[in-house]
Order: sequence, then structure tokens, then C-alpha cells
Amino acid sequence: MPETIQKDSLIGKRITKLDAPEKAGGKTRYIQDLDVQGQLYGKILRSTRVHAKIKSIDTSAAKALSGVHAVITAADVPWQRPIGVAKDHFPLKTDRVRSLRDEIAAVAAESEAIAEAALKLIKVEYEDLPVLSDPNDSLKPGAPLIHPEPHGASAKHDHLKQAQGIAYAGKPDNIAMTFDYQQGDVAAGERESDVVFEDTFHLHYVTHCCMGVSGIIAEFDSSGNLLMYSNTQVPFLHKREFAEILNMDPARIRIIQPPIGGGFGSKLDIYPFEPITVFLAKASGRPVKLVFTREEEFLASPTRQPVILTLRSGCKKDGTLTFRTVNTLHDNGAYTSWGATTPFVMMQTISSLYRVPHCLYHTKAVYTNNPYAGSFRGYGNLQATFAVEQHMDMMAEAVGMDPLAFRLKNAQDAGEVTPQGMHFKSCGLKECLTTAAEASGFLAKTKANAAERGKPGRFKRGIGIASMLHVGGGAKIYPSDGCGTILKMDDFGSVTLITGASEIGQGSETVLAQLVCEELGLPMSAVRVVNNDTEITPWDVGVHASRTTFIAGNSAIGAARKARGKILAAAGKMADLNPDELDLRGSHIVETKSGKVVMTLAKLLRQLHFSDKAELVMTSFYYEPPSKHQDKHFKGDVSAAYAWATQVVEVEVDTDTGIVRLLKVTGAHDVGRILNRLGLEGQIEGGIVMGQGYALTEELMVENGVVRNPGFRDYKLVTAPEIPEMDVRFIETMDGEGPQGAKGVGEAPAICIAAATANAIENATGVRIMALPFTPEKVYRALHAARKEAA
Amino acid sequence: MTALDNYVAPTSLEQAVVQLQELGEVTILAGGTDLMPQSHAGRVKFKRTLMNIRRIPELRGISREGDEIRIGALTTITEMMAHPLVREHLPLLAQAADHFASDQIRNAGTVGGNICNASPAGDTLVPLMVLGAHVELASKPDDTLFRRSMPLPEFFVGPGKTRLAPAELLTAVRIPIPPKGFVARFHKFGTRPALDISAISIGVAGVLKDGKLSQVRVAFGAVAPTPVCGCATEEALEGKKLDAATIAAAAKAAQDEVHPISDVRASAWYRKEMIHNMTRRILEDVSANH
Repeated sequence: MPETIQKDSLIGKRITKLDAPEKAGGKTRYIQDLDVQGQLYGKILRSTRVHAKIKSIDTSAAKALSGVHAVITAADVPWQRPIGVAKDHFPLKTDRVRSLRDEIAAVAAESEAIAEAALKLIKVEYEDLPVLSDPNDSLKPGAPLIHPEPHGASAKHDHLKQAQGIAYAGKPDNIAMTFDYQQGDVAAGERESDVVFEDTFHLHYVTHCCMGVSGIIAEFDSSGNLLMYSNTQVPFLHKREFAEILNMDPARIRIIQPPIGGGFGSKLDIYPFEPITVFLAKASGRPVKLVFTREEEFLASPTRQPVILTLRSGCKKDGTLTFRTVNTLHDNGAYTSWGATTPFVMMQTISSLYRVPHCLYHTKAVYTNNPYAGSFRGYGNLQATFAVEQHMDMMAEAVGMDPLAFRLKNAQDAGEVTPQGMHFKSCGLKECLTTAAEASGFLAKTKANAAERGKPGRFKRGIGIASMLHVGGGAKIYPSDGCGTILKMDDFGSVTLITGASEIGQGSETVLAQLVCEELGLPMSAVRVVNNDTEITPWDVGVHASRTTFIAGNSAIGAARKARGKILAAAGKMADLNPDELDLRGSHIVETKSGKVVMTLAKLLRQLHFSDKAELVMTSFYYEPPSKHQDKHFKGDVSAAYAWATQVVEVEVDTDTGIVRLLKVTGAHDVGRILNRLGLEGQIEGGIVMGQGYALTEELMVENGVVRNPGFRDYKLVTAPEIPEMDVRFIETMDGEGPQGAKGVGEAPAICIAAATANAIENATGVRIMALPFTPEKVYRALHAARKEAA
Repeated sequence: MTALDNYVAPTSLEQAVVQLQELGEVTILAGGTDLMPQSHAGRVKFKRTLMNIRRIPELRGISREGDEIRIGALTTITEMMAHPLVREHLPLLAQAADHFASDQIRNAGTVGGNICNASPAGDTLVPLMVLGAHVELASKPDDTLFRRSMPLPEFFVGPGKTRLAPAELLTAVRIPIPPKGFVARFHKFGTRPALDISAISIGVAGVLKDGKLSQVRVAFGAVAPTPVCGCATEEALEGKKLDAATIAAAAKAAQDEVHPISDVRASAWYRKEMIHNMTRRILEDVSANH
């Protein structure tokens, strides 16, 4: 036993992810690797038509195939209820299909091959309906309705369910959702303006491309309890929604999450394949496993919202912003997911990234027969930032200011309460701006590049800047934004952290373990994390809104501090010392001042256990952030903290081909405080690459409702040689509410790359492109058009 | 599920061509890098017999035969890229191999397979065409082994279609050793540096003497149902001094003579623009470096 132990801290260290050795060694068992005794394999028959009535389905030949245990259609589950935030989506389609991914029938069989063969034996007769593939067409008078109101006997029968808000009600028009927000008076703002711009920006379809495709195993035990192995990001919300869809007691539903191969928001909703697998398990009386093929993942998992965004904004001669008016049209696809609520986030960027006195914001999310959009890292913020930060550059130029000075003039400060009601208790925006600009040599390069523009030469260099604001302290959308933690100490000085927060590859279990070890003076090797079983873990609203480090971190710290209090009190009593003068260091109890070792933690824990009171050290804590729900005007301080970042992107544009190469990204991120430096770097670098894909290479090509590139050959993720040099700086604003001062940054790094890239291309070529992605052909066309115009 | 009746793995060329003659309906498996994804996607149906030709030693190896380099059909892209004879005499092929798909695919995919797959975007096809390659075909219609040879451009009929007879096997590709003063360029134009299917590709070769190009061969990939010769471009270059005017005329000729389609990778307009710009770029590079 050492005589003394000096204070050491884990905060800010580079800590390897707890799951890294297993993942790097190929030992992690994802859903693909799990098999349950007696399981069958599920497969789904999807529509071959984009929009059609289902005239008939004949499953007799499929049912007759040897090895097939169940073939189901909507007729077999008349009790199925619609899923999704708008309850507009039956897992198995009843009378019509509305997009090419639509589920018509499902099979459970003894092998995948038999299930596939059975699908081929199902005969479906369709009657085609007109296809709506452009959201503008969906709004035209007389446009065919995608969700006509149901009529006749079944509609009446649904009366009770409608009253409960869980029945399919249909829609009298093609508008799924609208959002309207106002602050100040934009007309007054425009009157004060010396410069006004109005432009329309087009944002495209991209999809998550999780390396682990979607999958689920569902099984009922003999008492009718349902166990699901699911990749969901929101196990507790899922449990509740599944109970509703299946008309089950939620207490009988248990969700275990195997290690998840990526989420990025794609697993926030329930998708038809999940209840369908449960239906199959019910129908067959056997566990059923259903895992997507990659092609299916492209066709039937969600996308980011394609948005047509018209932005009108103005400023005064001195660079003061005056107003913004925004109208956006969101292509919802055929059904409504949580992702339809992305305007919540978009309006925050529009109203509050910079100080704007007057704002008017309207969104229509409309139905089309396209793939349906879901939630995706950034949640609308990439789209909003793309438009806002291009206009910032345009206005700066119009009033003769440099892009940095113009932003600094309008940037938020700590202490600001915005007209939308967001309270920025910590705010590092100005420091982010100056740090990223200085580190990249932004101002000098901007000038030098612009001077080179007109000269001959095939390659042009450009530099562009953009900033972002995003929730960093949870987001109070659901009635609770909390997370619970249970801590259990064993007799040997190890701790089990039982948290409601899910690990989806983002590194949450590592940072939570680190925060607990910091409080308890333990090495990382002394902690185990349990985080994937609704039967064991306390409630959590789920992984979204960059909330886990902040919310689950505060929750874990709360539980750890309680354990620490108990331990020190007991140690004080045992050693006859003042507990306030004791500390936990290196798995020992020590005197705080001198570091003199009093006893080992293990010994203390055993003495407590084996005492006459037989006390085990177990604590629990529930953290609910001090944020507020928005009112019906979308005003309110929804997050306990806000994250900020500025990214500077340097590009090289090949004017012969339109190829844009990202040379370097310099980022400055207000992260509150660095907890796990390695994890943070990983998040930021990964986010930059995801933002790069959105800006330059990725596009789900949808034509008349048909996805034309459902595979990695033609859906182009960024490959290793394309990844730019990165210089990432962290700004520590020590948020008062954050765990050890930290803020959430999961989404932040992906948000402003596209906007900064647009500005960099403009700096390089003088051509501004307002539609994504910047594929070589799109950039070449823009350059070609500009050359023609000039000539 | 594809029903295969029969699987054969001949161990000599003789045995293979006899079996081809006898069995009739045969799908040939070499590297499998095209066959497997295509059959999986339902674009290619397996015939009754699957013939694995990988155990035939005569189809392997790269050798010099007189004034020619012979590359066996089973040579993998990786082997071709690394081989000293290729690197010495046909550096263009090594360079093309370096832009071919990924390491994994290059390790399995074969030169013969790339040719027989007859994709208009096949990465070795354009360079082989401008190098004046011939394919070597073998069959055994009666008691004697019959071999024939065909200039590569004539071999292609359409996407996935060649002049290979049903009982015939492609055994090798033969390339004349280039003469003195020979220059050659290949440009694969895709939208990213790795793992890409070319939107267009261009090969240019010829003998450069006193600033003039002769014996010019030009070929384009991914602009027609097969890789095609750029006859008009050749004409614009043949015997001309490689100056700015010639380069501009050749680039224009190239742009005018291709008739690509629009697909998910590029529009026809963009492909024509790229043919123009890349042809110009290649020729400027030749002119600047010789």
C-alpha cells in the first residue's frame, strides 16, 4: 500500500473507448451475430409500385412452401395500429402503397433463402395511382391526396382509437405538418435595411449509411411477454410506443440493445419492420430475426429532410442584421417521422445563431410518394445553416465588411436571452470565430484567393467560414428530458454503472464511466457499464439532441457523489477522522491535504458489507435538466446549455472538371470542457467527414419516387484519400450546468461544413452555388454557366 | 437461388475446351468480382454448368514472346501491376491497374475477366486498346485445338457481350512491345480517387518524333455500349505537330465523336465536356513532357 497518493484527474485525458478492443478485434456481437434458439428468419415483401391501390394479395403459394411458418398481410393483423409521430403509417399496408418501400406482406421461414423464395411466390395486383414526386406538386390545387380520409365501416370502427389519438385518420390535404414562428416585425426590419437578399436554397436527400444495417429479433415467452433485441436509440420511448401499437401492457415488453453499428438519428423512430417482426413472432409462435440487406437499408431506412428554403435577409450599412424571413418546404415522403419536427432546430439557427431582431419563419412539411425522411444528426440544422451562413457572406460583401468582422458584429455573447427565449449561459461563439480564423489564416487567404480568381489556371483555391449553434444541454421535447443512474460498488473496489443512456458508438459509456471514476478516485479499469436492457436500466429519453454526455453525465455524477458521500462518511467514522477532510484517490481513502493513505477502498467496502448493518454501497440519481418546454409560439429555453462552433474550410476547385477537393478543415468548438479528449476528437473528426459527404459526395438519387442508387457503388460516401487535414481547437467555456463544465457536441461538427464549403467555392471561383451536393458535375455546370454569362 | 446442375474445375486448357464443347451451356468463373455481384443482383443468370477455370496453369503468367508481351487470362490485376515486364514495357497498364477498384478486387479480379465482362467502363480495356492488344481465343470444335486471335476493339459487341463463341475460352491477351518514341496516356475520370466506376476514360498512344505524333491510337471508355476507338481524334492528331491548335482540334474532335448516355454517374453533356477537357489535358501533358 502506498503511503501517500496525490490528486490526479481523468478530465481532459485521452481515454480509449471501453468497447474499442472488442470492436477492433472483430469480437463485438452485433444483431447480425445474435441467434436465438429456435429462431425463424423474417423477410418483407415491398411494393413494386410507387403509388397504387392494392387490388389483391395472394399468399397461398408462399404459405404452401416447405419451411415457411408464417405469411402475413394487413388482413392477418386487423388490430395493427398506425406508427409514427402523426399516426399515418400502418406497418403492413392495407389498401394502398404510397412509396416504393412499402410493406405488403411478410414471411417467417426456417432460412433466409426459404423466406426469400416465399416472397417471390406472393402475387400482388395493383392499380396505379398518380405519383407525386415533387413537394411543390403536392400543394397544387387538385393534387391527388396521399392520405385521403378513410371512409365507410372501418372509419367508424376506429372512432374510439381516434379519440385516443392512435388511429389512422387521413388528411384532407397533403400537408403533414406546419410550423410558424415570429419574433418582432420583419416589415419594420426590412425598412431599416440597407441591403436585402432573397435566395432559394435546395437541400437534397442523404441517408445515414450506418455500417450496421437495421435488424431486430422478437420473441414471446410462454406467458406472452415480448423480448426484442433492437438497435433502437430510444429504448424507453420504444417500449411505450410498442405497447400502444401492439395493444400490450408496457410492463410485458423488454428491449435489449445489442451493440449498435451506428445510429445518427436513424433509430429514433419505430419503423414498420419492427412491429412486422413482432407480428411474425406472434403468428409463428417462434422467435423471428429480421435483418436488412444493404439495398433494403438504402430503400427502407430514413433520409435527411430534403428542403427547399427561401431566405430573405437584410442588414444595415454598418453590418447590423435587421431581419430574416424564411419559407421552407420539406419533402416528408409518404409518412411522417419524428424528423418532420426538424423546424424546431432550424428556427433556432435562423433566430438565434446571430442577433436578429425580426424573424418570420414558416415551414410546410408535405407528403409525396418519395422515401420518407427521418431524423439525422444535426436535425435540420445543416439545412438552415447552409442558407443562413451563405447570406452572411453575401451581406458582408455587400456592405464592404470581411466575413469575420461581419459575423463578430452580430455574434451572440454569454448572458444573452434571445427573442426566441434561449438563454446562453455560456457562449464561446466569438472565441470560436476568432480562433478558427486565426488558426487558418482566414482573412489573408480570403484576399489572396479572391485576387487569384480571374487569373488563368486550372486549379483555384478558396477558403470559407461558417458557424453553428446547437443544443448542448439536452432538448426538452418530450415531457421529461431526464436520465437515471444506478451505481453499485462491489467488495473489491469496483463499480458497476447502470445508466439509462444508450451507447450507439458515440462513446457515451466511456465518458460516463470516466465521470464516475473521477468522483470515486478509481482507475478506468475499475468500472463496468450496463446500459442496454430496459428491465435493468433506469429511464432515459434516448440518444438524440447531443444530450447524452450532458444529461446522463450529470446523472452519473449525481449518483457517484452520493456514493462518495456514503463512503467518506463511513471511512471517517471508522478511522475517526472528519469525512470533509477525506478524499478518494487511486482506489484508496486518503487525507485530502496530505494525501496520506487511510485505507484501501476495497477494505472499507468489505467492512461495510460484513458489518452488523451489512451495508452495500448502492446509489441512484435522476437528473432532469433545468430547461423549459417551448410554448405554443415556439419560444422557450429548451436546452440547459448551447454548443457553438466555427469551421473554416479550404478547398481546391478543378475548373476543368468541377471536382472540389477539401484540403483542410480548421474547427473551433465550444465544448464547455474537454472530458475525454480522444472521444471528443473522434466525434469532431467523424462529424466533419459526415458533413463533407453531405456537402460534396453523398446523394440519394430519387426519381419519380424511385431510388436510383441503392448501394455504395453509386451512393458515394467519402473514402479515406478524400478526407482533409484537420486542425480542431477546443474552446472551454466551463458551462455552469454541464458535467464538469462540458456541453454536448455529438451533432455539432457535421453542421457547418456544407455552408463553409459553399463559401469557400465562392471565394475560389466567384460562383455561389445554392444547391447541394457540390458534385463535380453540379460545380462544373455552375462554372460553365458563369463563364458563358461573362462571355 | 440459382439452380446449378453441374460444377466443373478443369485442370488443363485441353480439358476445359473439351468440356466447353461437350457441356454447351457454361458460365465461366475466374476472379468472380463481376460475376458474383451481377448474379446476386439478378443481372446475370447462371447457366447449367459453372466452370471454375482457376486451376488451368496455361492461363496464368506473363511472358515475353518475340516482340509481344503475353498476359495470361487468369493474371490478376495486382499481378499485372507488379510484373517487371509490364512495368518495363507497358507502364500504362501498371498505371491503369493502380486506378482499378480496390486492393481486394485487384487481388481477385483477372485481366481475362475484365475483358470478357465487356463493361464499357472496364478499366483495363481502354489502355489495352491503345496498346494495340489482341485477344487469344481457344476452342476444340473437333480433334484439334483451335486458336484464333482478334484485335481487342473487334472483340466487343455491347455491354457484357463479346465475339467469344459459346465453346471458346479467352486464354490471353497479347500486346506488341511499343516502338521507340512511344508515348501513352490513360486517364480514368471518376468523381473520387478510389473505388469508383469511371464516368469516362480516355487512352491516347502514339509515336512522338520531332514534336509530331504518328501511329496514333485513341480510345474512350464509358461513352458508348462498348469501349470505342476515337477515329476522328486519331485523324486530328496523326502526323500533326502537337501544338496548341492541334490539341484544341483533337479535343473538339473527341467531344464531337462520342455519344454517351446520361445515367446516375453523369449526364451525357457532362461526359462530352469531360472528354473534351481531359483529352486536351492529356495532350498538353504529352506536349509538355516530351
